[in-house]
Amino acid sequence: MKIKGRKGWVSSVLLLGALATGAAAAVAKEAGGLSPWWGAAESRTLPETLDYPNDSGTLRVLRVGGPLKTKGHPFFEPLGPNGRACVTCHQPSDAMGLSAKTAQERWDATGGKDPLFAAYDGSNCPSLPQGEKASHSLLLDRGLIRIERPWPVKRWNELEVTPDFTIEVVRDPNGCNSGPNYGPEAGKISVYRRPRPVANLKYLLAVGFAYDPKQGWALPLDPETGLPSSGNLMADNRAISLNAQMGDAGSTHLEMLRKLTPKERRQLADFQQSIFAAQQRGPRGEALDAFGATGGPATLRDSEPGQLGSIGMPVWSEFAAWEKISPEDAKKMTPEELAFRQSVARGARVFRDKMFLITDSSGINSPIGFGNPVRNSCVFCHNMSQMGNDVAPGQVDLGTTTLPFADPMPDLPLFRITCTGRPHPFYGKVFYTYDPGFALTTGRCADVGKITLQSMRGLAARAPYFSNGLAKDLRGVVDYYERRYNIGYTEQEKQDLVNLMSAL
Amino acid sequence: MRLLAGVMALLCTGAAQAQETGQLVRFITCPIYRDTDFGRKSGCWLADDLASGVRYDVTQSPYKPDWGHEVLVEGRVSDESPDLCGSPVLNPVRTSILEGECPRHMLPAEGYPGRKYELPPRNIAPLSVARPVPPGPYGQRTFNFYFEFDRDFLVYQYDDYLIDQAVTWIRAAKPKKLVVTGYAATTPEEVSGRMIAESPEIARTRAEAVSITFKRLFPTIDVETHWTLDAQVTDEPDADGIPGQSQRRVEMEALF
Repeated sequence: MKIKGRKGWVSSVLLLGALATGAAAAVAKEAGGLSPWWGAAESRTLPETLDYPNDSGTLRVLRVGGPLKTKGHPFFEPLGPNGRACVTCHQPSDAMGLSAKTAQERWDATGGKDPLFAAYDGSNCPSLPQGEKASHSLLLDRGLIRIERPWPVKRWNELEVTPDFTIEVVRDPNGCNSGPNYGPEAGKISVYRRPRPVANLKYLLAVGFAYDPKQGWALPLDPETGLPSSGNLMADNRAISLNAQMGDAGSTHLEMLRKLTPKERRQLADFQQSIFAAQQRGPRGEALDAFGATGGPATLRDSEPGQLGSIGMPVWSEFAAWEKISPEDAKKMTPEELAFRQSVARGARVFRDKMFLITDSSGINSPIGFGNPVRNSCVFCHNMSQMGNDVAPGQVDLGTTTLPFADPMPDLPLFRITCTGRPHPFYGKVFYTYDPGFALTTGRCADVGKITLQSMRGLAARAPYFSNGLAKDLRGVVDYYERRYNIGYTEQEKQDLVNLMSAL
Repeated sequence: MRLLAGVMALLCTGAAQAQETGQLVRFITCPIYRDTDFGRKSGCWLADDLASGVRYDVTQSPYKPDWGHEVLVEGRVSDESPDLCGSPVLNPVRTSILEGECPRHMLPAEGYPGRKYELPPRNIAPLSVARPVPPGPYGQRTFNFYFEFDRDFLVYQYDDYLIDQAVTWIRAAKPKKLVVTGYAATTPEEVSGRMIAESPEIARTRAEAVSITFKRLFPTIDVETHWTLDAQVTDEPDADGIPGQSQRRVEMEALF
C-alpha cells in the first residue's frame, strides 16, 4: 500500500476509518491483496518505499539497495522451531518495531496461534496455559516481550564481574521469577520490554567519541572487529554489536538450535543497516518534507550519523522552516494543516529550549559530574542530530522502571534491590524496581534502572512507549516527564511536543 | 534588583574579601543549589565554610555537588566578581561528593543570573575531528589523571581530555609499554573537625579504570598496572594547584 500524494492519502484515511470500525480482516489487506502483517516465511518483495497509515498520518519505510525478495532471507524466514522470524517482532508497518495494537490484531486474526505468541517470550511465562489470552497479557496490553537474563552476571565486556547488589522477588504475578525453574534462585531473572525498532541503525551504531562519559572509561571494543561500540543498541546494552545482538536474538526470541551462519549474519547485518523508517505525513496528509522542512526517512538515509546537535545541526531543526511559514505558503494549506506544522515547529523548540531541573537520574546526575540537580532540556540526552538518541552510550535512569518514580504496574514483577557496597546514588541501600535494566549487564547497583535511550523515529507507528510500555500514547510520554521532573509545560507546549513526536 | 543583590553579596562577604586571592580553602559542608536560569547548566552551586562563615560560589568544579550529600570543597579564592551567583568565587575548585547526607536546599535566583554555559577548556572534539600530531622527538613521558575524593570515576570534561591528550601523543610516539600506577590519599587529615582519608582499595580501582581504558584504546601495547597508598602532593599543572587533587591521581608512564 504505497501512498503517494493526496489521492493516496484519501485511501489511507479510509483505511484508518476501517481500522476504527474494527474490521480487522478488511484492513489487513494492502493494495494487491497483501497484508500489512509480514508473517514469517512469506514470499514477498520489500520495495524501496513502503508507506503505512497510522493514527498520526503515514509512516514511510525506505530500503537502500533496491527491492528485496524475502524468500530465503534470514530476516524473514523462521530460523528456529517456534516459527518466528525477525520480522515477526520488527514489522515494517510499526516502524520495524511492534505496537501493542498490532499484537492484539494478530491475536484476533489467529486466535493466538501466530508464532508471535511463542511460549518462551511471547507469553507472560512459558509455564502458563498458552491457549489463554490472559497468559499473553503483557504482550497484548503493553507490547512487552519477556527477556530472560542470567543472574548473577559473571562477565561484562571481557571483565570479571561480582555484583554489588542482591535481587529478591517481592511480587511475581506471572510465575516467571519464582519456583524451581525461574527467578534469581534458579539463576535467571525475567523482565519485560518493548522490542526496539530495527531501523535507522547507522545512527544507533555511530560512535561520536572514544569515551563513555557515563561509565568513565573508553568505549568497549567489539571483540570481532576491534572497533569501539556505540552502546546504543539494546535496552540493557547486553550486546555491543549487531553481530552479538543477532546471536542473542536468534538463541532467545527465535529459539534457534544452531548458530547463525556467517552468510546469515552478513545478510542480516546488511539488511538491518539498509532500512530507514520515519513518519512521512501528518494526520491530514501533510507532507513532513514540504515547505522547507526535511522530515521523513529520506533525510535520515542521506545524513551523516553521530553528529552532536549542540555543535552542528540542532536536534529536530528539520522543522525549523515551519517556524515562519510565509503568507504565500500558508495559503496553500488548510488552517488545520498550517496549525499542525506550526505546532510541530514549536514542539521542536520546546524540546531543545525548555529548561528544567533534572534530578536524581543516574547516568545524568551521577556519576558524570553534572551535579544533582542540573538545569537542561530534552536535548541534553537526546542530542544526536536527525535521530535524537545519545551520541554517547545512552544508559540513563528516568525512573520509568523503578520506584518511587515508576507508575504502579501490578502486572509486572517487582524486585527488591539491596546494594551490598556503596548505596545507589539516589535510591539508597534498599529500593524496588520492575526492571534492573543495565545493572543486569554490569552487576553494579548504581546502574539499576538505567535503560538505553529509546529510538525516537517512527513513534506514531509503535505505541506504547518507554521500555516497559508505561506510556500508552505520546501524551503519556509528555505527562510522565512532567510528573517526573515537574517541568511546568503549558497545555500548548504539551500538545506541541505530542505533535512533534508524532511527526518523527 | 541585580545591582542591589550584588551590593548585598559584597556586604555580606566581607570576610571573604579579607582573604587573599589565591588562598587555599578546604572544608566539608552541605551544598546549596541556587536556581539561576541562564540556559543549560547555568545553576549555581554554593558552599558554606562553617569555620569562617563564608559562603562560596563553587560552581566551576569539574565534578559538581549532589544536593543530598556533603561535599569536600577544595579551592582557591578568586578575584572573579561575586555578581553571577551571589557569593565570592573559588576557582580553581573541586567539590567531591561524600557519603554524609544533607537536607536538600535550593535558593531562588534572587536576581542573580548564573553563568551562561561555555565549553570548559578541557573538552574533547568528536572522533571525526583530526588531532594535530604532537611534535617529536619522543621520549619517556608521564601522564596524570585525576579523581574525585574516594572515587575511581574518570571525570567527563577533565579526565577524558587528559586521556585524549595522552592518546594523541601515544599514537604519534608509539611507546612499547604503559606503566599505570594508582594513588590514594590514605593518610588521615583533619578537615572541618573530622578526620578523612581515602580507602586503600581506591588506588587499585583507579589504576584499573585507567588500564582498562588504555588497553581498549591500544590493544597491542603492553599495559602494566600497579597501585600505592599514602599519595603525596605534586605540582603537576592539571591538578590546578589544588594539593588534594594532585594526590588523587593515576600516573601513567610511557616507556620505549
